[in-house]
This record gives sequence, structure tokens and C-alpha cells, in this order.
Amino acid sequence: MAAPLISVDGVSKAFRIPSVHRDTVREHVFGLFEPRRFERLQVLDRISLELHQGETLGIMGRNGSGKSTLLKIICGIYQPDTGRVTVRAAVTPILELGVGWNPELDAIDNVFLIGSVMGLSLAEIRRSMDEILAFAELERFANLKLKHYSSGMSSRLAYAVAFRAVREVLVLDEVFAVGDAGFRQRCEERYRALRAEGCSVVVVSHDPRLIDTFCDRAILLDGGRIARQGQSSAIADDYLGLLTHSLNDTRQSTQV
Amino acid sequence: MKPSHAGLIWTLVRTDFKARYHGTIEGFVWALLKPLAMFVVLMSVFSFLFPDPTYKLNLIIGLFLWDFFAEGTKTGLTALQAKGFLLTKARCPSWILVVTSISNALITLAVFVGIISAFLLATHHPPSLEAVALFLAYCGALVTVVVGFSLATSVLFLRYRDLNQVWDVVSQAGFFLAPIIFPLGIIPERYHFYFYLWPPTPIIEFSRAVLVHGTMPTRTAHAYLAVDAAVILLAGTVIFRGLAPRAAEYV
Repeated sequence: MAAPLISVDGVSKAFRIPSVHRDTVREHVFGLFEPRRFERLQVLDRISLELHQGETLGIMGRNGSGKSTLLKIICGIYQPDTGRVTVRAAVTPILELGVGWNPELDAIDNVFLIGSVMGLSLAEIRRSMDEILAFAELERFANLKLKHYSSGMSSRLAYAVAFRAVREVLVLDEVFAVGDAGFRQRCEERYRALRAEGCSVVVVSHDPRLIDTFCDRAILLDGGRIARQGQSSAIADDYLGLLTHSLNDTRQSTQV
Repeated sequence: MKPSHAGLIWTLVRTDFKARYHGTIEGFVWALLKPLAMFVVLMSVFSFLFPDPTYKLNLIIGLFLWDFFAEGTKTGLTALQAKGFLLTKARCPSWILVVTSISNALITLAVFVGIISAFLLATHHPPSLEAVALFLAYCGALVTVVVGFSLATSVLFLRYRDLNQVWDVVSQAGFFLAPIIFPLGIIPERYHFYFYLWPPTPIIEFSRAVLVHGTMPTRTAHAYLAVDAAVILLAGTVIFRGLAPRAAEYV
């Protein structure tokens, strides 16, 4: 079998949460003799996984289980504390929708900015500008500054650019969570087309139906560890079990 | 550098220019008017105080070089914070965000270099080719200093969010520390060394020497400037390489 496109090997990540947050020179100088306590928040604990050519991997887990941090590490946006991430393919992320535009620029210039960050050449961006705007249904607002856009409009634009930019691996946080039924359907069509072309995908979602439908394989994160991995349908069930289980737990504890 | 970086660099420079000047030449004229207005005000006040006939030329050279330094360091310091939306969006070569952030100031400087060269050619004492080459080298040293400063402070600013205010104060004091509105000659010679520690000072003084006075700074002076710029760039690069990998966590 060919080498995996992405291998994550024993990756851990912790954030240090200070008791008092200091982010100015002034606070650091005046707080020189007031020691702070740091709380260590272990977000990811020795995670290992692999993504092969043409595979679709779903990641599920409750809020705070480390899904988004894992995605950011896979995309090279965050650095792991320990462990290694080896990436042998071009990774196109769609993370943190609705943010990440220059509000003072119009849609066309923002597409140029994000597109070139995502690895598209200027010629490619110029060629596919109409297609991107049509996909996002924003042709009429192409010359409107992003500060006048609604959050739905800017999210649709983000999807349109990323779907165009993807080459080998697409990484999606809460896929298809934006837009109306028509837009979602276009996203799903584009997604199927990418799959047919042999693209690999990593998807994070809270929606068991979606993971079941769109992924071959899935992992369930809990407390920063891989609690379970296997067939996506089984993991989707496990996730629901995890939620109801914890709900039962809280119910019991409130009764006591 | 990968070929795709060229497209990113061009897009960043183009959109920075557009966002700053609303994409118009008239907008850009404002950038030139700022040091020019300063020049008119200062000249009308201080040319009485300093009756030297070369005062005006010295003043305008000092003002434009200072303007690049002040603008470049100000935008460079906030570069990563301002472009943070690109850092958290994808894996983005963050040094490009910092280096391109000084492009607007660089364009203004380039236009000024053109204007001052044309002006000097039109006057009775056109500078020699060597003088112009040296002046360009001094501008290069100034750009190196600003890039080094920006690399270091852009990552530090993400951790210390009042660094821009601290720098505003330092920069304002620095305007009067550099010999822009006063000739360095009014300061006793034994203190000159301390003035030269402030990086804009040697660049302004050397530029005036070659362009206005037709004198040549010594080799030691040139070596000092080269080492000064190299050390600042090196220090900036080291700090940047140490802190930039985690920059996205602080945006």
C-alpha cells in the first residue's frame, strides 16, 4: 500500500491557561511580583491516525474533545507539543467559517487573497472567478466590500473558494452547515465530484447522519484521546451513545 | 521561495495599496503630502533658526527617510495581527505577511527617491553616479532595519498587545533624537556616538553627506552601518523563527 497522505503520530497538545490573563507589556511589568498559576489543559493526548489516498475520514466528539485543534494541527496551523505530523499532499482547509476576510476589500480581492493563500495561482484564480462567485450566488455583490456582507454570504464565499482550491486533501470543520437547501445541495454535489476525482477528505461534524453518509471511516474523540475508531456508521452510533450516556450521567448526578 | 508565493506576494502588495489608498492615485498623493506638509511647516519655522542654505534639502531628505522608518515600523509591528485572518485560515508563510506589510511605505520611499534625484539633477550640483548608488544602498540598509524590526515586533505584538502604543511613544521621541529638524552639528562632537546608535541617524546623515554636501562617509562609518543593519535583521529573524510557529495560537 502507498504511504499515507497524512500520518499523525503520537500528537499531543496542551494549552496553558493562566489564572490571570496578561497580554500587554504594562500588565507584565506591573504583575512582575505577582506570580500566576497556570492550568494545563490537555487538548490532545497521543493521537495517531492515517489518511490514505481517496479515503474519507470523519471525526466526531463532544464540544471540547479536541476536534478543531486536531484539524488545525493536521493543516499545519498549530504546532503539536509532541509527536509528528507528516503531510505528503496539498491540504486545503475550510475552518472557522464567516471569519477571515479583509473587510475593507471587495469579494474579488478577498478571493484573490484567500485563493493565493490556499495555493491557487493568480491565473487559476482569474480563470475561476466567475465560477466561484456563481457557486456562492454572489455575482451581484462581487464589488461589495466584505464589511457589508452577511455572515451567510461570507461563509458561502469561503466554501466556494476552498472547493475550487482543493487538490488532494480537503479538511472541513462542520461541513455544509451554511446556506439554504440549494447551496447545501451544490456543496454535496461538488463534494461527490471531488470524491470521484480521488480527493481525500477529513470531516469534523456533530451530525451522525452526515458522518454516516459521507465517510468511509471515522474516529470518536473523547477528552483528547481516540475513544473509538472504525466504520463510520458504528462511530456515529457510538457518538449518540456517548451523548445519551453523559446525559444520563448528568441526570443522575442532579437527582443525587 | 515557491512559485505560488509570488502570486501571494503580489496580491498582498496590491490589496494593501488598494485598502490603504482606496485604489486611487489621489489616495496615494495623500501619502506624499504628509511629509511634504511637515516639510513646509518645519521649514517656515526652522529656516530662521538655522540659516544654512542647505537646510531645506537636508530637512526634506531627513523627513522622507524618517517617514519611511516611522510608517514601515508601525505597519510592520501590527502586520501579523492585521493579517491574522490569513494565518488561522490556512497554512500561510507568515514571513511574507510581515515583509509585504511595508510595501506601501516602500512605494512612497521609491517615489521620493525619484523626486529627489530629479530635483538634484535640476539644481546646479547634480550628484555623482557614485553618490546616487550610495544613497540607494543607504535606503537598502534602512529597509533592512525596518524588516528586521518588523519581524521581531510582529510576533511579539501578538503576545504583548500594547507594544504598538509603546512603540508610538518611542517613535515620537525618536523623531527628535534623529537629526531631522536640527543639524547634528549643533550637538557637541563627543555626544555624536550616542546619536548614531539610533539607526535612522547614520542613514539620514550619510544620505545628506553624499547627496547634499558631496562628501563621502569613511569606510568605518559604512562598516558600522552594514553591521548595524545586519545585526537588526539577524536578531529579528531569530526572534521571528522562535515565535512565529505558534503565532496562529495568539491571533
